[in-house]
Amino acid sequence: MGLFTYSEDVIKGFAVSDRTKRGGQYVGAWRVLAPEIDYERCTGCMLCAIYCPEAAIVANEAGKPQVDLRFCKGCGVCSNECPVKAIEMVKEEG
Amino acid sequence: MSEFDVMPGNKAVAHGVRLSRVEVIPIYPITPQTTIVEYLGEFIANGQLKAEYIQAEGEHTCLGIAVGASLAGARAFTATCSQGLAYMHEVVAQAPSYRTPLVMAVANRTLGWYWSLGPDYSDIMPELNLGWLVNFAESNQECLDMVIQLYRISEDWRVLLPSMLSLDGFYLSYSYERVNIPDQETVDDFLPPYRAPYPVDPTISDKWPAAGLPPALHTTYRRLFEELMEDAKKVIYAVDEEFGEIFGRRYGGLIEEYRCDDAEAVLVTMGSMTTAARRAVDRLREEGEKLGLVKLRFLRPFPSSELRRIAERVRAIGVVDRMVLHGTGGGGAFADVRSALYSLDERPPVINFITGMGGEDIPIEDFVAMGRRTLKAASTGRPEREVEFIEHKPEAAPPPVQLEEVMPIYPGSDGCAGCGSSIIIRHLLKVLGPNTVIVNPPSCAGVNFGGVVTVPWVLANYAAAAGYETGLYRAYRIKGKADKIYLTSFSGDGGTVDIGLQAISGAAERNESFIWVCYDNEAYMNTGIQRSGSTPLFANTTSTPAGKVWAGKPEKSKNMILIMAAHRIPYIATASLAYLPDLERKIKKAAEVTRAGKGMAYIHIQQPCATGWYFPPEKTVEVARLAVQTGVWPLLEIEDGVLKVNIKPRELKPIEEYLKLQGRFRHLTKEQIDTIQAEVKKDYESWLTLEKMGKLPWY
Ligand SMILES: Cc1ncc(C[n+]2csc(CCOP(=O)(O)OP(=O)(O)O)c2C)c(N)n1
Ligand code: SF4
Ligand code: SF4
Repeated sequence: MGLFTYSEDVIKGFAVSDRTKRGGQYVGAWRVLAPEIDYERCTGCMLCAIYCPEAAIVANEAGKPQVDLRFCKGCGVCSNECPVKAIEMVKEEG
Repeated sequence: MSEFDVMPGNKAVAHGVRLSRVEVIPIYPITPQTTIVEYLGEFIANGQLKAEYIQAEGEHTCLGIAVGASLAGARAFTATCSQGLAYMHEVVAQAPSYRTPLVMAVANRTLGWYWSLGPDYSDIMPELNLGWLVNFAESNQECLDMVIQLYRISEDWRVLLPSMLSLDGFYLSYSYERVNIPDQETVDDFLPPYRAPYPVDPTISDKWPAAGLPPALHTTYRRLFEELMEDAKKVIYAVDEEFGEIFGRRYGGLIEEYRCDDAEAVLVTMGSMTTAARRAVDRLREEGEKLGLVKLRFLRPFPSSELRRIAERVRAIGVVDRMVLHGTGGGGAFADVRSALYSLDERPPVINFITGMGGEDIPIEDFVAMGRRTLKAASTGRPEREVEFIEHKPEAAPPPVQLEEVMPIYPGSDGCAGCGSSIIIRHLLKVLGPNTVIVNPPSCAGVNFGGVVTVPWVLANYAAAAGYETGLYRAYRIKGKADKIYLTSFSGDGGTVDIGLQAISGAAERNESFIWVCYDNEAYMNTGIQRSGSTPLFANTTSTPAGKVWAGKPEKSKNMILIMAAHRIPYIATASLAYLPDLERKIKKAAEVTRAGKGMAYIHIQQPCATGWYFPPEKTVEVARLAVQTGVWPLLEIEDGVLKVNIKPRELKPIEEYLKLQGRFRHLTKEQIDTIQAEVKKDYESWLTLEKMGKLPWY
């Protein structure tokens, strides 16, 4: 839980938050369905990335969206917002 | 006919309240108390209880309502804990001298102090010495029974003092146990309606409770109150006795002794921890160790003579404390036990175990160890250490995912899948950047983002967030930093339109140069979807359940934009997470205004919440968009008094399109939908009218 990230104290009894120890939060295990992007259809508008609540979508080298599944909760917002319906929520393999 | 049911402690409390025919119930949510008042709401919504149910905008008011009702001669109940109890403190101190015999349940939770939802007695500790009777329950049955007993005791004219029923959060509040529910007639016979001796009612009484006394009488009245506490002890025993005869359950009055008869040493406990301590005593007894247990049932009045009698029989006492009196070196119960025994000619050693703070579980093995240490002190005559902190190592938390780029907010969060507040905060920080300081009143956001942001995140006390922000701003100003740091709140609607409003209004009137961002999910989400002043008309929430008697929230939401405009601050805007360029532009504008020291910038952003509005998470943005397209959430801004409606759909979509996506409106009738439609239209047109005025006239 966010509130409970703290660092060991240097000054006795003084718990501190240390931004240099922060990073992304792994939430991939929350997911039931995962977004699958049809790159044929995708126009690279990146609206999915703009709306993704978890900032799980980044642009790849081709300027197209790519989902970092470590941060994807499978909410489906990207799929719902895609103007050309290029993202489908699917069951993951395995 | 009494019946049995399996239920959590909070429901047992609610049944006790229902059976006591409480007439006035002011409420304000806080975990782990909230379900008590939600159950009561359900009872009322379904016609099982008739009572005034009042949703206060903060706990200070909440207890004020209870005291007011009690002054007028009605039977009142409320419930709280932790931060909420602390916020009530002033009213807590007032209630005894007004002799208002109300009952308040306190579902214990750590107060402030590195924030925990788990129980310890840091919340009730500061309230102990103000003249309330304070009872600690061990089981759910005891919770139900004690609500009824406490009204009998409190309303007795020999007592006439308010009571707190303390039940440990989680361990009792949410744990299921089999509970006997007595029948109404039997309870009615046991607990007659409340008769106030001096009601504040000029039509029937020439006398009412005095507000003040000359200082010379203060000492006298303090003594009298101590005598009242002594009188209350007799009433407590008598009521328990009578309750036992009628209902077949006795609790022992001020204390309960367990296997104390031939004990050489005893442990002293209170609340739910007692159950594990009993098992530890049993285990040591099996080994032939003569250990007993004393459960403190009432902490006020304190069972001094009872403990003296036990001290005369045993050779050591081990007090288990879930509360620390900082600066004394020990715990609260320990201090009380020791001082009660001081007048004895010969006293056994008293040792203190501090444990279970922050709600950490106290396992049976720990009680066994505490029992052994107390037994050892009994045999040697002196303890190795007088106060011992029983500590455990925390479980290792999963490490964060390392990323190359440093961002103001990293990916991932603890919010629900699809949470709109995530979309908002990411764009807020995208605009404001790394030198931002966020002041956050308690809310979903604190839980969700506290661990992924790399900007300072100051968790503020709920009603004081705009105070924290003012203090930060003034300090930055004198240090020449006010134009280098962006200072903004990230507050829920509860923290803005209800409990936070007084401080926001103060800051706005002083025109402090900081940003106030309210992400508005139109209810208290973090505590489980209770209505707020921002909840729309007819919405179903857990405190406005649609039932036989109720049809969702009966009131419209507050118009915060007009409230802020009344303060004449330089910038006010609404925004939507479906219109992100507009939202980002407004944040930029707010940043410019505040950086220039022009005064407060207020941005109110609607945040559809899948969990609390009951829609599938992928619809978050769609719902937000429909709110704008139907006119429910107009996008507007007021710049130096000039109001502009930023997005004007050529034709507003019918409101039904917005409502039908959301479960919180599922119960609506055609008529109710028409009413909402008419209200939306009226409000939308009012904005257009204001826009036509050019500058708002009071700017
Ligand atoms: C004085 C006080 N009372 C009650 C609480 C409990 N509490 C914590 S979060 C919360 C609800 C927050 O609602 P809101 O401000 O609307 O934000 P949301 O969680 O909906 O985002 C409440 C009531 C508290 N922390 N402090
Ligand atoms: S499913 Fe949700 S969390 Fe996953 S990438 Fe899409 S919008 Fe982001
Ligand atoms: S309850 Fe609502 S506001 Fe809170 S985290 Fe979940 S979706 Fe977000």
